[in-house]
Amino acid sequence: MNAMSTYYLSRAALCIGFATLLIISGAELWVGILAGLLTFGWFLLAPRIGRYVVRHEAGVAALHRDERAQAINNAAARNGFVVAMLAAGAVVVHAILRAQSTVPVDVLEWLMLLGIVVYSASDIWMRRRQA
Amino acid sequence: MRCELTYDVSYTLHRVATLNLDNCVRQLRLKQDLTQEALAATVGVTRQTIIAVEKGKFVPSVKLALQLAAALGAPVGKLFWLERKGGAG
Repeated sequence: MNAMSTYYLSRAALCIGFATLLIISGAELWVGILAGLLTFGWFLLAPRIGRYVVRHEAGVAALHRDERAQAINNAAARNGFVVAMLAAGAVVVHAILRAQSTVPVDVLEWLMLLGIVVYSASDIWMRRRQA
Repeated sequence: MRCELTYDVSYTLHRVATLNLDNCVRQLRLKQDLTQEALAATVGVTRQTIIAVEKGKFVPSVKLALQLAAALGAPVGKLFWLERKGGAG
């Protein structure tokens, strides 16, 4: 059995475990099976998309980012965090200028969404720039 | 401790700071009939990282540079060098 077969078998076991956990915790049978299949599909795809390398010695956590992917991820996360924090600051300043004593909690969802969008866009842009 | 000075240190600090990192990873890899995928698997990175290193778009860490040098059987100083932008160093 080669190293990749071990990877696929261990991922299949993880996905079966995940699907079983979902079903035991009250999800419908088809939802559990679908979630397990989708997770396994992700594990099949992950070593081929150029973001992860398989380190067999790491066992359950065999998927790792290499140093380029980690550098891109760090920079994208930093961009998302900085933009979200600047936007949060702008919201607070706006509230102060309008003499509001409170800021609606809904704003947090939009700030988080903004951070995720900036993170994703930065990640894609940096990957394309280095390709 | 192996620490030999093999580089030409005639550059001033100011000049060194303006130099770019260049490499001959692609040439050495092709010379050894290695695919990008095989080299990537040998040093434990993705094929995309090898592509980015070969194109000079990603500067590898010292560890990865040493791993590439070991995989290609060349001293790291022959694999990577500093060069003026758009010309020979």
